[in-house]
Amino acid sequence: MKHREPPKSLCQTQAELDKFSNLPGHVIDQILSQLSIRDAVRTSVLSTKWRYKWTTIPNLVFDNQCLTFTSQDQTVIKNKLVNVIDHVLLLHTGPIYKFKLSHRDLIGITDIDKWILHLSRSPIREFVLEIWKGQRYKLHSSLFSCQDLIHLELFNCLLRPPATFRGFKNLKSLDLQHVTMAQEVFESLISSCPLLERLTLMNFDGFTHLNIDAPRLLFFDVGGYFDDITFTNTFNLALISIGLYADEKVERRSARNSSNLLKFFAHLPNIRRLEIQSYFLKYLAAGDVPGRLLYPCTDLGYLSIRINLDDFAENSAALCLLRSSPNLQELEILARPEEPSSGATCLSFWEGEQKYCKFSQLRLVKIYGVSGIKTELEFIRFVLLASPVLEKMIIKPAPVNEGMEMVKELLRFRRASVQAEIVYVDP
Amino acid sequence: MSEGAMAVVKPEMKSYIWLQTVDGSIQQVEEEVAMFCPMICREVLQTGMGSSKNYAILLPQRVNPSILGLILDYCRFHQIPGRSNKERKTFDEKFIRMDTKRLCELTSAADSLQLKPLVDLTSRALARIIEGKTPEEIRETFHLPDDLTEEEKLEPLRNITDDPRIRLLNRLYARKRKELKEREKLKNAEVEEEQVDDRSVDDLLSFINGGDGDTKGVKTSKNKKKNRRRKEQRDSSSNKADENLQNEVDTAPLTQNNAEVNDILVATPSKASKVQDFSGCAFSQKLEFDDSFIDDDLDPAMKEELDREVEDFARRLNSGWPERMQEILSLGQERKLIPSSMNGNSSSRKCISMLSSVPFL
Repeated sequence: MKHREPPKSLCQTQAELDKFSNLPGHVIDQILSQLSIRDAVRTSVLSTKWRYKWTTIPNLVFDNQCLTFTSQDQTVIKNKLVNVIDHVLLLHTGPIYKFKLSHRDLIGITDIDKWILHLSRSPIREFVLEIWKGQRYKLHSSLFSCQDLIHLELFNCLLRPPATFRGFKNLKSLDLQHVTMAQEVFESLISSCPLLERLTLMNFDGFTHLNIDAPRLLFFDVGGYFDDITFTNTFNLALISIGLYADEKVERRSARNSSNLLKFFAHLPNIRRLEIQSYFLKYLAAGDVPGRLLYPCTDLGYLSIRINLDDFAENSAALCLLRSSPNLQELEILARPEEPSSGATCLSFWEGEQKYCKFSQLRLVKIYGVSGIKTELEFIRFVLLASPVLEKMIIKPAPVNEGMEMVKELLRFRRASVQAEIVYVDP
Repeated sequence: MSEGAMAVVKPEMKSYIWLQTVDGSIQQVEEEVAMFCPMICREVLQTGMGSSKNYAILLPQRVNPSILGLILDYCRFHQIPGRSNKERKTFDEKFIRMDTKRLCELTSAADSLQLKPLVDLTSRALARIIEGKTPEEIRETFHLPDDLTEEEKLEPLRNITDDPRIRLLNRLYARKRKELKEREKLKNAEVEEEQVDDRSVDDLLSFINGGDGDTKGVKTSKNKKKNRRRKEQRDSSSNKADENLQNEVDTAPLTQNNAEVNDILVATPSKASKVQDFSGCAFSQKLEFDDSFIDDDLDPAMKEELDREVEDFARRLNSGWPERMQEILSLGQERKLIPSSMNGNSSSRKCISMLSSVPFL
């Protein structure tokens, strides 16, 4: 140690004043963990006691907030970034529980391989890797040996696990966006994570059949192009949001004499919240559409449907769903605006339906993007007549429409609920 | 609350727990308040202590009497069920308004009593205090001893491949550092080993710091801030040139001339200290343009000497250097003439502003 000797008395007062440095290590770790990695590492020049305090922080986050570079040059930024991460990892001691790398200037470089290899020797619980640009980064195989992982989040990666991969036994949350993997990889990945509770899939390729076999799954959010979706052992699944991006081929996606609707809901007895986005209703409407589901969704409290109210099959699927959702509390209808009105195919579709379908708990309805066509107005009238405790209906039409005409119509509608208020929001 | 104050309170209806702090003072606290601390709760349940003055629970050393009062205030508020989150938040915000020394004591005490919510609260508060501050400011705020040697604090001087004058300055500093190191070595044999170790931390820091143009800020003075601002303004013009030049250095085949220029430009390893050499070849070759960090404070003895040398250097710089540099540069790369002359102008200003800032350190 250095021998620069300040006067004794000064030394003592310093020690007395400096309560900060003497906090227990785990408390200091906790404090430093709340700083950006930049601020945390900077503490090493404070004093001799602080020299290496930062090196035991268990969470390492490298993102745009903590690492900003003045240079515009890509190579320069890349090199700096690599240097910073190399050094932090080199100097770090003790376990790393969380590692997040998400920098907008990062491409899938081989340096990431060595970092992952390094991290795989730590009991890493949370791993987030987001490659903002460039080609898919092929995830280093050592990541698949991280059995302590609880949360895994990947953006723009290619997954090709080694043959020895037997799943993540502790994984609870998986978030994959812009990923590529083979069909069998996807299936085995999902089914070999027995504790999986949350699954997010966005913009994927390499697999088209979403076979979800996950007994603990609670939350499922998917958006992308796929042909088919099948649930097995998903008895806990409660929150679902599904978006199917393209509508071509959708109608051919069901075998004859079967019903996508029935198949979809067969393994979802506990669904509480469902969002049907993009063209997924078209998928559900393919094949035979039953009048009702085999078992009503008694727990379903929130339903959001994106629908073309001018499409007979979609209306039928929506009707089936609504008839099977007796305990709905909130309903959101998003009209798909881009489709041209095809005429009178659905006239009177919803008329009189309130006799068969009642929403005894529906309090809030939002209807967005309607253009005022007859079917839409009929649908609104049906909801008003079928909801005795409705408190509020918010209607926001599509940008181009003759507002006044629609408002006039709306004003005339009878309402089953005396409390119901209709809020018309200007487009 | 002191023992005396507590004596006024007559325990009658309520049950109380007796607590003793390390200074020997004993006080009684409402049971539900005291039991809010897991450590006290465990003592009561496992050992049955705290039921009377003679069996007072001995609190950990880190809980001094004045802090105990604060802790009990916290417990008294939060042990009452049914408070809204907003109420709790408002209380917490007010509660942590205190000087940093006390905040640290509170954190330590809360930790020893295993009062996790309070540790979370105070840790967050401490983190917020540190956030964005320069090391100097943090040291001041928390009364940390400034006990790192200059050598340890000194940033590796990042070589700027395209500016020979900066390199010369670096060399000058490197020599000074080497001397400094020799002296330190004489004082203590351990030093060197430690420095090799420390260096990497510094390197790292400089990278992270260099990132957003913010200097490490070992010293922050108005003068330097101004200096930095000036630099930022220039950056837009000089950066482009830097990059042009950089690309050329990276891509152009190393011609004989090129090599020669590099020879002149790169600090000679023999002159530079080990450390300097390390930083020179390992990191800076093409990475670092940031030169706003020469703000380390130096030992008064060294400083005077260094100031003299720097002044001397500045004189030389102002007389013959621009021409000589052009010469050197044009030796190697004709094509670089345009960017480097642009750059030359800006960096000569850079250099001078740096020099002028040195005496204020």
